[in-house]
Amino acid sequence: MEAAALPIHDHHGPPPANQSARVQPQVLGMLLFIISEVMVFGAFFTAYFFIRVVTGDSWPGEGDHLPKAIAGVNTAILLSSSLTMHWTVEATIKGNRAGMKAGIVTTFLLGVTFLFIQINEYVHVGFAPSDSAQASVFYGLTGLHGAHVFVGLLLLLFVLIRVFRGHFSPQAHRGLEVPGIYWHFVDVMWVIVYVTVYLL
Amino acid sequence: MVVAGVIASAIGIVLALAIEWFPTVAATQTKKISTLYDVLLIASVPIFVLVVTVVVAAVIRFRMRPGQEDQDGPPIHGNTRLEVIWTVLPALLILGLCTYSYIVLEDIEKAPAAAQELRIGVHGEQFAWTFTYPEEVTGGEELTTTELVLPVDRSVRFSITTADVIHDFWVPDFAMKLDAVPGLTTHYRVTPTRLGTYPVVCAELCGLGHSVMRSRVRVVEQAEFERWLAEQSTPAVEEGAGPDEQVAAGKQIFASEGCGGCHTLADAGSGGQIGPNLDDVLKGVDEAKIREDIVDPDAQIAAGYGAGIMPSTYGQTLSDSELDALVAYLKEATK
Amino acid sequence: MSFRAPGFPRAGLGILVGVGLAYAIVCSVRALYGWDPVVDGDAVLQVALIAAPLGFLIGLGAFDYWFRWAIGAPTLPEDHSGHGARSWKDYFRVNTDHKVIGVQYMVTSFVFLGIGGMFAMLVRAELAQPGMQFVDPNAFNGLFSVHASVLIFLFIIPVFAGIANYVLPLMIGAPDMAFPRLNALSFWLLPVAGVMMLLSFLAPGGAFATGWTAYAPLSTEAPIGQVFFTIGVQFAGASSIATALNFLVTIVTMRAPGMSFFRMPLLVWANFATSLLVVIATPFVAASQFFVLLDRALGFNFFNAAKGGDVLMYQHVFWFYSHPAVYIMMLPGFGIISEIIAVKARKPIFGYRMMAFSLLAIVVLGFTVWAHHMFVSGMQEWIRVPMMITTAVIAVPTGIKIFSWLATLWRGVLHLDTPMLFALGFLTMFTLGGISGVTLAMVPFDIHVSDTYYIVAHIHYVLFGGSLFTIFAGVYYWFPKITGRMYDERLGRWHFWTTFVAFNCTFAPMHLIGIEGMPRRVADYAETFAGWNLFISIASFVVGLSTLIFVYNMVTSWRAGVRAPANPWRAMTLEWQVSSPPPIFNFDTIPTVVGGPYEYGVPGAVHGVFKDAEVKTTATPAGAAPAGD
Repeated sequence: MEAAALPIHDHHGPPPANQSARVQPQVLGMLLFIISEVMVFGAFFTAYFFIRVVTGDSWPGEGDHLPKAIAGVNTAILLSSSLTMHWTVEATIKGNRAGMKAGIVTTFLLGVTFLFIQINEYVHVGFAPSDSAQASVFYGLTGLHGAHVFVGLLLLLFVLIRVFRGHFSPQAHRGLEVPGIYWHFVDVMWVIVYVTVYLL
Repeated sequence: MVVAGVIASAIGIVLALAIEWFPTVAATQTKKISTLYDVLLIASVPIFVLVVTVVVAAVIRFRMRPGQEDQDGPPIHGNTRLEVIWTVLPALLILGLCTYSYIVLEDIEKAPAAAQELRIGVHGEQFAWTFTYPEEVTGGEELTTTELVLPVDRSVRFSITTADVIHDFWVPDFAMKLDAVPGLTTHYRVTPTRLGTYPVVCAELCGLGHSVMRSRVRVVEQAEFERWLAEQSTPAVEEGAGPDEQVAAGKQIFASEGCGGCHTLADAGSGGQIGPNLDDVLKGVDEAKIREDIVDPDAQIAAGYGAGIMPSTYGQTLSDSELDALVAYLKEATK
Repeated sequence: MSFRAPGFPRAGLGILVGVGLAYAIVCSVRALYGWDPVVDGDAVLQVALIAAPLGFLIGLGAFDYWFRWAIGAPTLPEDHSGHGARSWKDYFRVNTDHKVIGVQYMVTSFVFLGIGGMFAMLVRAELAQPGMQFVDPNAFNGLFSVHASVLIFLFIIPVFAGIANYVLPLMIGAPDMAFPRLNALSFWLLPVAGVMMLLSFLAPGGAFATGWTAYAPLSTEAPIGQVFFTIGVQFAGASSIATALNFLVTIVTMRAPGMSFFRMPLLVWANFATSLLVVIATPFVAASQFFVLLDRALGFNFFNAAKGGDVLMYQHVFWFYSHPAVYIMMLPGFGIISEIIAVKARKPIFGYRMMAFSLLAIVVLGFTVWAHHMFVSGMQEWIRVPMMITTAVIAVPTGIKIFSWLATLWRGVLHLDTPMLFALGFLTMFTLGGISGVTLAMVPFDIHVSDTYYIVAHIHYVLFGGSLFTIFAGVYYWFPKITGRMYDERLGRWHFWTTFVAFNCTFAPMHLIGIEGMPRRVADYAETFAGWNLFISIASFVVGLSTLIFVYNMVTSWRAGVRAPANPWRAMTLEWQVSSPPPIFNFDTIPTVVGGPYEYGVPGAVHGVFKDAEVKTTATPAGAAPAGD
């Protein structure tokens, strides 16, 4: 087993790779990952489609009510967190460290609030996933989204820590931008979930 | 090479058509599907032969000869006309086959002109089939059996249901199959054209007894079909039959219900391993308990076996007298 | 032995911590809700199946870098200790060198081929005669289910990823993959998934026994062994997606100067197409298994018809992945064959652009055909005919590829060595599998042969005669590059001919017994099929034995084969322009591409040129992220 074995003295680094596209690898990677995530949601929406449209059952399950108003407020909270995220990136580019700190903290707290309200909704919504297929789809879709919010928050937390440790500059802030893209995706996805599950 | 290819194709087609692919052609559907398959063979063999011929010819003519180690072939990068041909021709062939298949599909599924269609329910459950003849067929009460009997030359429409997981109702000699899906009733029709007895097979993996989920279908003359229907409504075991007659009748029921598919019973010569070995578990057990084991199998399960595996419908599909006979037989056989 | 440094001791500790956490979480939640009993073995096992592998990966060190990155600590500058392999031990740690990862992938997946193949032998032993001889029906169902799952998710899909991992960065003139640490994680997810599936045999109630398709509601009601599949697939799927994403980013952003898309070797094209399929389709299989897990573990009702669930939805979601998966398991093979046929016939690929476009056509069409697996499922009848047409139409781009390969052979100078023999074997056998695929698209015929041995024959002609032959071809072809040694040509030919003949004897008769009425996935069958089944079983054992020739050849040649020159095949693609095995960072300087990859026979043509090698030292050590990254 001596594949790739080399003389020890060969200790220089790799030659810099040719950059054959204008897009940055990390950004492209995140976009592809988001495509993959969209497809996960797509599969859950397929379940939604089959149970609501193909089977033609009532929505939500008989006797169940979805708190449209509270969820609407929650939607507003999540959407405003997208704005603050954008503001954070803008502030970073302008070199406004105070704005960057305020922005990331606000974004993070808005996200936490959203998640808290969502969990609170589960407690009070009055039905369990085991009650009906409609309930399963409701918990499936909102739960899947909640899990994404959680992951997004984790990424924001990392960014937050790094912001306060003095990372990122107007020139180098990809580590802030890429989690930001993910966070915007999570927000847009919520709008789709909210419209299809609660409003339609 | 062209000549060799044409000859090989011709031989290939003749050989492929000479093979008896299908089981008995026992329904109009089988006939039409096997004809479709013949057409597919005639279309496919030349394509396969073409590829093989070109590969073999290339190997023979263009293999590297000694002294050619450092040579390269001519730098041919493509040929638009050739590429168009091998895109368009297969596409046309494919569309032709699709059109023909569509016609066959319409044909095998169309409802018979006369409304003289028999409607029969097919019910799958782990791991047995039951068949329901509705009142309009029997003329009397609804009839449930474990053997399917059909009159010849009459279209039958099956309504397929399941009690548990997905099964698939398939009679290979009829060439038609369809899944039994929880929550749905699915349908297909066949017109049997040949007298005889054929296997009924579950074609969708349904658990550990999947390979023994078998029954049979008997295709008979219309007159015999009516006689059979009438017989079914009279009890198999006459009231007040003697113990010996009961045991003999029970042995027949054990065989006809397919009990041996899952259970080992020395007296019946069966060796099924899905369920408990009856020679062991029923030894010295009283009649009431045997009866409960048949009617309500999950009430008390032998060690090492799971719940929900044995059908729980024997209480409905067997008449009281049949049950009595089966119990009497099992008691006698495991004494 | 240190429990602090990354490695196997810490990974073992990670497993223990994972199991302990699972136990604690489940018991405390159950106690909190007052459920009885507090200690529920099934629930603990299901959580442990998720937690223990994560513990293992963390312990092994797959996440060390990211943990430091996440908390903003200075990331360890890459001293290249994570790069390359100097002894066999370097293959048993988190290694970020794509060449090491490629070898890890290939060796691991061939181990799973051995295991999956053994299961096939056991299945055939049981089926040699009617009646039950060796195993009980439950074990039988477990054997063929694990056989299929292991060979699909842990052999064919990852072995292609392994081959591409090794040669793709070299082919496009990149020093490594775009995300080397993600690449390492992708690999280590695989043994996790594989070991999990194999461990299911130890679960109470036996291994998962619902086929690799795991149709609900059979799977939602199955014993706990099913969960080993449900969760194992998540790990295998995550690995696939991560690798595909890595390939796509690498291909888009790291090609050598001058390598336009239409100067890429077709193997790169094939992996580009495959990766698109993986990124888009694989989430669906993950979701289908989420549904099963939610139904089974948490009482959801996705597939509970009594509460409004839809059983057919499972099949739609599952096949929306699993049909494209067939192309995921075939397109990289097309790429390998294109490389080999061009080099071994000493001619340019005939119709290069159509070869590339037909790959993309297959990707697009591949998403429009899933319901042809469901012609007898009881779904809406109107879906069938459109799906029949799209399915049959895929034969057109596939046909373009076959005919183009044939035209490439014509008038070439054919070097009929082992890789070429497997390539030609693939051409003929895959054609047969493709033709039986077209017959299966025809709805009326499919109604009769669905779920029969005809299907078994078809899938094995495609996956064995198709995919596996290309894998063998590729492994022989790149063996000198990877190991620096030549394989034994005589043994290679023996391997090809025995496999080729025994393969046909095994699977050709299955077409016949399928149409005659033998259903698949049965432990027992009617007496009428006894003769052919005995024949098939004997032939299948010969297939098994023929693989031993391959293993022997690989092992002895790797240890003591003749030293390989840099370019034994006189190939033009970039991986052959560096030493065998390649230098640790692939290239001293990145080559410049000046022409197409297959210009054989064109006087003076070259694909890539190397400017004078000047030893460069990069200012920042590679891998040390600048503070803003």
